[in-house]
Amino acid sequence: MSERIYAWLLQLYPSHFREAYGGEAQQLFRDRVRDEKGFFSCLRLWLDLIVDLAISIPREYGYAQATPFGASVPQRLNNVPVFYVLEGGSPRPGAMLFGSVLSCLALAIFWLSLSHAGNYVGLGIVATGQLQNDSNFFQHEAPQTYRQDAITATNPAEVFRLDAVERQRVIDAAVVILKKHYIEHENARKMADALLAHAKSGDDDAVTDGAAFAALLTRQMRDVSSDRHLTLEYRQDPLPEHPAGQSPEDLARYSMAMKQQNCTFERVEILPHNIGYVKLNSFPDVSVCQPTAKAAMAALNHADAIIFDLRDNRGGQPTMVMLIATYLFDHPEYMYNPRENTTERSWTRSPVPGNSLADKPAYILTSSSTFSAAEHFSYDLKMLKRATLVGETTGGGAHSGVWHRIDDHFGMGIPETKAINPFAKTDWAEVGVEPDVKVKAADALVIAEKLAQSKLRKK
Amino acid sequence: MPKRKLDPLPSTAFQILLSLVDDDLHGYGIMRQVADQTDGRMRLGPGTLYSSIQTLLEAKLIDQVDSREDARLGPERRRYYRITSAGRKLARSEAERLADLLRVARTKKVLRGRYV
Repeated sequence: MSERIYAWLLQLYPSHFREAYGGEAQQLFRDRVRDEKGFFSCLRLWLDLIVDLAISIPREYGYAQATPFGASVPQRLNNVPVFYVLEGGSPRPGAMLFGSVLSCLALAIFWLSLSHAGNYVGLGIVATGQLQNDSNFFQHEAPQTYRQDAITATNPAEVFRLDAVERQRVIDAAVVILKKHYIEHENARKMADALLAHAKSGDDDAVTDGAAFAALLTRQMRDVSSDRHLTLEYRQDPLPEHPAGQSPEDLARYSMAMKQQNCTFERVEILPHNIGYVKLNSFPDVSVCQPTAKAAMAALNHADAIIFDLRDNRGGQPTMVMLIATYLFDHPEYMYNPRENTTERSWTRSPVPGNSLADKPAYILTSSSTFSAAEHFSYDLKMLKRATLVGETTGGGAHSGVWHRIDDHFGMGIPETKAINPFAKTDWAEVGVEPDVKVKAADALVIAEKLAQSKLRKK
Repeated sequence: MPKRKLDPLPSTAFQILLSLVDDDLHGYGIMRQVADQTDGRMRLGPGTLYSSIQTLLEAKLIDQVDSREDARLGPERRRYYRITSAGRKLARSEAERLADLLRVARTKKVLRGRYV
């Protein structure tokens, strides 16, 4: 079937190309299909082909253009358009039919993608979003992190409607989970009492919308404890029975996706004035990406300053945060992480033998999309005065804890650890990390380069 | 038909010339060899590959040698291509041009280290 599709696509090339190389092109396609098995290989093959078609078809027509067919080529008159015919004779009926079907198909795909845009989860998000943002993804016994923005109930027509029985069931479950798991037992009891008291006094009665009810209960709990890492969430789509992404197949898929994306190190290069630049779009798992991360830092080892571009970084693994931060110090340094108890893992493994970056000026580019582990990296290096943050206030995703599923739609995130924050009373939860130099994200690189150049000139 | 340009030498054409330095290859063999020598960064699609092959044939930088089977890939006959002496000469001069460029980059300290 796929060969037939490719044979159709070959019809898009000009006839001289088809006649000379059509057979060989099909043969090459067959060879690749035979050798590149598996979902990702197949996907890559088709992506390659689409790019190839997009580039080579116009070029081949360009080569064909100077030998126009037709009875006569008219002289160009002033301002009178001239039309050239690339192929002799009319298109064949098959070609016309194929063109029509292709146009309808493209239109249908466009329409479908528009109408399903809200539910669409792109491959890149599966590969890098979900897995990366589960910051303890690979630790089966360790707490899972979760994200505040995961709630997607937006269409009023499809929102789950709650009645009194449902509300009471959720509250009872939340009370049990709080008392059993919340780190401070006295506060847990007070929050549980508050939830029950609000329910009894009818404060929750008017709420029938799932997301609003979750937000209300979260507010009631936080009124007592002021713990912004504690949350009760509603999701319109049914929550999985078991945490996702822990089977060997998931790990293999993650590993493959990371390799294909160079572990999300999108760019590693030396900018003018010997400024190192690394664009990192997540903090991937070290078990898969340690060699890539080390190679990236080694490539920038002789830079006079370094810029970390985290404007498209939505988070990932704290272990990778620690690995990269290790290069920025010549001694072990404490890095605060609200997700973990203070342990020896909270210290960087500095110094790195042969590393020259420990005393070089560092800049971090941020945007409102910079999230979770990327904020962990930014916050700590800012507080340690080791890096200058340039860009926008970050997204504010510090939520962490153990996820407790209540039912198909409700769940609670409960902090079960207490990390010591030596820098301030609050971290970046919900408020984000403020940059040192506040500029639009799009301008951040230019500004950071100027700051670095000016600092290097003063040296 | 307009002349297909080889000045400056496109990287695709340069990679194809390099792939043929050691052995005669068919289209798929060239694609595999180019992917290997670029660590998978350049995977030539059929359109790009045969367009470049046509350009190199017209410029007499490669020749079409014969059609024969490749025992590893099955009984189908495949056209094989061979680099000409003009092709080798052009590949060498392109490599020297790039080496000169690297020397300048090192002098300007854009590129550090003694090796590429």
